[in-house]
Amino acid sequence: MALVDDLRSTLGSDRVHSHPLELLVYDKDAGVTRGEAVAVVLPETTQEVAACVRIAASHGVPVVARGAGTGLAGGSVPAEPALLVVLTRLNEIWEIDEYARTAWVGAGVLNLDLSRATEHLGLHYAPDPSSQAACTVGGNVGTNAGGPHCLAEGTTVAHILGVEFVTSDGDVVMLGSKAPDPPGLDLRGVVVGSEGTLGIVTKVLVKLTENPPAVRTLLLTFDSIQAAAATVSGVIAAGIVPAALEMMDQPMVVAVEGFIGAGLPVEAAAVLLAELVGLEEGVVAEASVVERIANEAGATSVRVAADDAERAVLWKARKNAFGAVAQAAPDYYLHDTVVPRTKLAEVMTEIYEIGRRNNIQMLNVFHAGDGNLHPLVAYDAREPGMSEKVRAAAEEMVRVSVAAGGSLTGEHGVGLEKRELMGLVFEPIDLDAQARLREAFDPHGRMNPGKVLPTGARCFDFDLAGKKEVSP
Amino acid sequence: MEPSLGPTQAQLDSCVTCGLCLPHCPTFRLTGDEAASPRGRLMAMGAITQGTIAPDEVYAGMLSFCLQCRACEAACPSFVPFGQMMEGARARLAEVRPTTTGRVRRLLVGKLLNMKWLLALVTSGVGLVQRVGIMRLLPRRMRLARGLRRQRVFPHSAVGVHDLAPAVPAGSVALLAGCVMDQWFPAVHDATRGVLSMGGFKVDSPETQRCCGALAAHEGAERDAARMAERNVAAFQGYDYIVSDAAGCSAHLKDYGHWVEGGESVATRTRDITEFVAELIDSGQLPEVKGNGDEVAIHDPCHLRHAQRIFDAPRKIVRAAGYTPVEIDPDGLCCGAAGLYMVYEPDTAEALGEAKREQVESAGPTTVVSANPGCEIQLRAHLGRGYRVLHPIELYWEALNR
Repeated sequence: MALVDDLRSTLGSDRVHSHPLELLVYDKDAGVTRGEAVAVVLPETTQEVAACVRIAASHGVPVVARGAGTGLAGGSVPAEPALLVVLTRLNEIWEIDEYARTAWVGAGVLNLDLSRATEHLGLHYAPDPSSQAACTVGGNVGTNAGGPHCLAEGTTVAHILGVEFVTSDGDVVMLGSKAPDPPGLDLRGVVVGSEGTLGIVTKVLVKLTENPPAVRTLLLTFDSIQAAAATVSGVIAAGIVPAALEMMDQPMVVAVEGFIGAGLPVEAAAVLLAELVGLEEGVVAEASVVERIANEAGATSVRVAADDAERAVLWKARKNAFGAVAQAAPDYYLHDTVVPRTKLAEVMTEIYEIGRRNNIQMLNVFHAGDGNLHPLVAYDAREPGMSEKVRAAAEEMVRVSVAAGGSLTGEHGVGLEKRELMGLVFEPIDLDAQARLREAFDPHGRMNPGKVLPTGARCFDFDLAGKKEVSP
Repeated sequence: MEPSLGPTQAQLDSCVTCGLCLPHCPTFRLTGDEAASPRGRLMAMGAITQGTIAPDEVYAGMLSFCLQCRACEAACPSFVPFGQMMEGARARLAEVRPTTTGRVRRLLVGKLLNMKWLLALVTSGVGLVQRVGIMRLLPRRMRLARGLRRQRVFPHSAVGVHDLAPAVPAGSVALLAGCVMDQWFPAVHDATRGVLSMGGFKVDSPETQRCCGALAAHEGAERDAARMAERNVAAFQGYDYIVSDAAGCSAHLKDYGHWVEGGESVATRTRDITEFVAELIDSGQLPEVKGNGDEVAIHDPCHLRHAQRIFDAPRKIVRAAGYTPVEIDPDGLCCGAAGLYMVYEPDTAEALGEAKREQVESAGPTTVVSANPGCEIQLRAHLGRGYRVLHPIELYWEALNR
């Protein structure tokens, strides 16, 4: 029987798509790459996911997992024709333990829905990617997602205690537990951020975080990127770790202000959004230090959100930034590099210079506090040669970041986008080790093949084998 | 002028596929399926427009599964005009792939709804059936019938009424009577006229007006919708304001600009009754009534909250009527009525209606206000006895007359 028939006999016909139009709507995520699925399935239980993986294996078809499709690196876009397993229907919150502050949730639960469901207990799920209203917890686990508030709280991996996991053979295993440091190898930590290349996470045991007793949100305005960057370094150097410290440059502020009308300073060269949380007294003291440092660096204005409503509007502005880009151009392409905080001003200057030299339109919005840049190029892909030009310029930006002592990706994952750039930060022997780890989970290369690791990651096979032979 | 709906390439380009609309889409929430999401629908429209894939029954199904609630539009940071594009896509599909079902639907909303004698006949029939008490024998697809108010056997219409002008009128108002609104909700029109007169306005309901054409537009009956818009542009000439007490109609009047020559003039003068009255309360032209502060649940019609971005007004009116507004849904997801959607897609409408019932029940109040007729019918059908569902303007008018 054909793959689709087998899937239909397991899931029924409603939850198996094979019509070209239904496949087409799944051929991309929020990024730019496209890839072809041979069929799309919408399982509702872990057992159904496992069955789909087994059926795909029996037909020799690889499997790609997908959540809400808000990824930016092509992690859920098939690199070769594959069965796309969409996990949005695994959207049940199974258990909330208000005393242990944990929750068992389906991989398809939306990030923000989880925080909403625990709001009445004074708890929330801390990692808050900008797409948190739309993205799934499972997708967050896949990319080890970050977000503005990960500066103080850490990225997704710090908030995942365990996962229910479908292996490449279609078996269901449990990795991790409620214990803070379970015995044995930390396979949970291996799976978080593996972008669906080791297996499929179907249920997640998350850590919940207490809502802070007091919050101050400051909008700081600067007439240069350098002054804003100096403020970021100054704040951290003063021993303050804000809950969030975000930067937007002028073109980005103009785009989001067009959508939100929050009275953002559209004239400013850069704005910083700083959030301080904790006990009231501490928050007040820290806010005054941040304000002083900003003023010393040359801030032109400081606005403190008066209430929850104003704070919500400021965050809504920040979190809708990428989506507002179509006001500038129909396509966007961005990278997700990390640079040392002390090099922020320097790297930003170089990145703008690359933009100027290539005559491309750039908008910047990023997690300044942890040096996680998102240089974003807005362009029209139909202009001949434009896509190539933009990619080349973006790659140059990545190289500049890495050369400054930084990294390829802070939170979006490697996916297809940065796969070929892995060599910039890893030696062949490192890539080989990663490839071997992957093979241990997925010896047949069934799970999201062609992602994360560049082609030829195992090029050291021969040499290593040779070395083994001669060593005593 | 030909209606300029799209989907044009420029409109399609205005989506960067970020996916922020997805959680706001009721059908995506139900199915988790990209094919039932705004982003997926736009991608499909793009493929059809560019000719990559030929329109077939799968495409038709994707379009007709959309509620056209426009919640995605309100959530979109790049201003994709989704509602307009969906109307255009349905009209284009009707041209290239006509089906019998489609023709019947378009005949209903494009022609029959404008036949007042026919509507009156149906209304009388409903009134009789209600009195005989055989409503519950109706098939599930006709569940909406159970949500109807008790109808008159001899219906009357607001079309052609000219209320007495106050000595020094604050302005002139043309009341859009509407199609089913006029026949099935005469009490809402009475309240609207009463409140506006009290606010100092001269209210007419011009004879030559037609149905606003919203349902025709939603169904892809493009020429019929344009014709109705044309008639209304003429009928509403010379009035300071055009007021509708059905959110779906006021939303559509505000879209007239891309439907017909002179439509922009109607659009800029149109006010939903809730925003109009809320402003009059703010400016002191209408009073705030002291009440006992009983709780009233607020249902936000999609075409009020999402299409027109009107949120505070119904709450203000409820407060001015002496009640305490209570929220039922932070996202304002569609109740599943969506015009004739509840007839065409009864399963989805049922699921959304039940979700809305649960929200109302857990909120507490047994009085619910809704500023749109379709929502009211759906709410009443799902909430059943023990609940009072009415337009906020009725609640206010009641309080003014207490």
